[in-house]
Amino acid sequence: MKRWKAITGLGVSAALVAMTPTAATASSGPTLVGRTHGVTLNFMIASSGPAETNADKAAAAAWAKSTGNKVNTINSSNLTLQLTEAFSGGTPPDVFYGETPMFESMAKNAQLLPSGPSVDPASDFYPSLVQAYTYNHTFYCVPKDSSTLAIEINTDMWNAAGLTNADLPTTWAKLAYDAKVLTTGHVTGLVMSNSLDRVGAFFAEAGGSYMNKSGTGFAFNSPQDVQALTYLQGLAKKGYLKFTPGDGVDAGWGGEALGTGLAAMTVEGNWIIGAMQSDYPKIPYEVVPLPAGPTGKHGTLVFTNCWGIAASSKYTAAAVSFVKYLASPAQQLRFANAFGVMPSRPSVAQEWAKEHTTTVATGTETPNVSAFVQGNVYALPQVATVGFATVETAFNNEIDGLASASPRQMLSGMQTNAQALLQP
Amino acid sequence: MATVPQTGAPINTRGELTADAPAPRDGARAKPKSGRSRLRRGENLFGWLFVSPSVAILVLFMVIPIFLALYVSFTNWSGLTSPFSHSVQFVGLTNYRTLVTRPGLYQTDFATSIRDNFYFFLFTVPLQTVLALWLANLVNSKFLRAKGFFRTAFYFPSVTSSIAITIVFIFLFQGDGVVNTILGWFGAKGPDWIYDQNGVFTNILNGLGISSPGWGNHMFIGLSLWNWVAGPSIGMCVLIILLVWTTSGTFMLFFLAAMQAIGEEVDEASSIDGTTPWQRFRFVTVPMLRPALVLVVTLGFISTWQVFDQVVLLGPQNPTTITPSYFAYQVSFQDSNFGAGAAVAFLLFCLIIFLTVLQRRFIKEDLTK
Repeated sequence: MKRWKAITGLGVSAALVAMTPTAATASSGPTLVGRTHGVTLNFMIASSGPAETNADKAAAAAWAKSTGNKVNTINSSNLTLQLTEAFSGGTPPDVFYGETPMFESMAKNAQLLPSGPSVDPASDFYPSLVQAYTYNHTFYCVPKDSSTLAIEINTDMWNAAGLTNADLPTTWAKLAYDAKVLTTGHVTGLVMSNSLDRVGAFFAEAGGSYMNKSGTGFAFNSPQDVQALTYLQGLAKKGYLKFTPGDGVDAGWGGEALGTGLAAMTVEGNWIIGAMQSDYPKIPYEVVPLPAGPTGKHGTLVFTNCWGIAASSKYTAAAVSFVKYLASPAQQLRFANAFGVMPSRPSVAQEWAKEHTTTVATGTETPNVSAFVQGNVYALPQVATVGFATVETAFNNEIDGLASASPRQMLSGMQTNAQALLQP
Repeated sequence: MATVPQTGAPINTRGELTADAPAPRDGARAKPKSGRSRLRRGENLFGWLFVSPSVAILVLFMVIPIFLALYVSFTNWSGLTSPFSHSVQFVGLTNYRTLVTRPGLYQTDFATSIRDNFYFFLFTVPLQTVLALWLANLVNSKFLRAKGFFRTAFYFPSVTSSIAITIVFIFLFQGDGVVNTILGWFGAKGPDWIYDQNGVFTNILNGLGISSPGWGNHMFIGLSLWNWVAGPSIGMCVLIILLVWTTSGTFMLFFLAAMQAIGEEVDEASSIDGTTPWQRFRFVTVPMLRPALVLVVTLGFISTWQVFDQVVLLGPQNPTTITPSYFAYQVSFQDSNFGAGAAVAFLLFCLIIFLTVLQRRFIKEDLTK
């Protein structure tokens, strides 16, 4: 866990010149400007539901009251679209959710203030999350929370099939066996969304990754990745694994398949907790970690957002103060309790995990979340390279046909397309 | 002296009004020459005044953005800064080359979207024209009661929100939705409508025993020939049904107006001559509807190449329902590559113009000209 050195304006236009008497200069990082009292900040969020919106608004109100400022919370229906419009129009929100797929474009176009160290040192957060928001050796924005993938099992179906704790899917072989036993009638043993954002967890378990070791290029066609996809193909061929939507499973995503009884197991992240509580309260389920691959390595994927501050904001000092409050341990715990995302600080995450240890939950309770929390340590972040969205879409379109396709071809196709993005 | 017309203005021997207009009886015509052109100028001014809000909106929201998009298509603008900022570089025809000539994901995706939209157009335009014509004929019938009700009922889908209709269609065509349940009553197992990527022609050819023939492997702009002739996918068929149902109401009105302009005497004359209703329709009504037919086909043709609303809801999961306009949106916002997105839009524009010109050459609107 390195201490970040002082950053002296890495060619980023964020180092604004105007200084007011109350401007604050962090010991490392860009010069912050603007008053810190009596300002109105624009705060753009992309909420997953009422729980998250209310939590964000409450946090904003609390900070605003204690510092004598105002916060204008905007819940966007399409964050990428609205942020792009705001940036190109020159009136971006002061603080906003920085999503991983958009992160690199924003950093490249100097729209993101490299505020990380001004808020808190990188060592306070999980390294994988810090890595997701580091571009060109600059820690741009503080990760706000994270969600990892784990397996959710319908405990009624598990018990009815006569499976016990010894059969929990801790290895690939056990997962295959469980999926086979749980596939009966119209219930499929394992259902996942047809996306690299699910299948990729198995790449990590096999010891593979998205990028090569030096981080200079992609490595989708590595033997480990091919091995992972071939393992999944084996399950799909026998009908123990199905992908939604389509493929004969009538659900929009894995959580819906679990909630409507079409799937016994699914692979989803923390957000499933809120969905099960509100939409499928009668389903009893538990959360277990994803299996270890052939080499005994555990792997999962992590999805995270960061607290982005606009480089061209007129009140960056106030914005940093706001983000400091939002990223504080107490506030992170409040967010976690409100809608189930995991704090990005290891200490706070452990504390939150201790509070939720019930092993069997109906949809109305929060299940044992230790599986989600431990995943933070070894999780792969999403790809942030500009233009990767189209490459991922092309791969996702082929996943439905995995049973009859060639994993090697699918992966080398994605590798070719992804590498083409890195050529200038 | 020549006859004085009723206004009282004198006419000379050649029958022309003399330049000096004497005091006429009708006061309104007493205005001098300069006054008359002042009135004309006033009319002009008011004309422009009334039209100016629409013109302003058109210029501001259509003409200027079109030229801006043309400029953007020659740059590498990411959309996250002003398009005129110094970080935006001029790249010439690179965006166009990436879409058409350079092998890669964009070329394949663009060719797929063109192919999808082409089949969509091929099936939608004839179907909606025929349906609109048939409906117009029904509603125009002398013996139909409650014409107003039927006109409203057929026209109603066109004024309903396209998003609302699409959501209902998604609901109906789901794997275990209403359509498949009804098909189940007849013992047929319906496909997973919206997500099925298999082309209709591919299915037919497979049924005949032909699959992956040798000639199918030749590549043409990033797609194999076998893919080009795959036909509309099942997912695209849902979109076709949706569009035909929604737009035939509007075109029915065009045909209805044209039919009612034909008048009853023509119909009566031809029935006196001893024609059957079908002959009447085919040899008398339809030829007289030719201008309306050409209008409907042209409008239908142009609008099918611009389908977007329905694809946003129905399409993203199924690559065979992506249209070029949706592809431009996807590339622009998700990849932060507005240069390529604008290039897609202009390539589409050129394609539409080219096909429209072809169509106008081969289908003359008025045979008498």
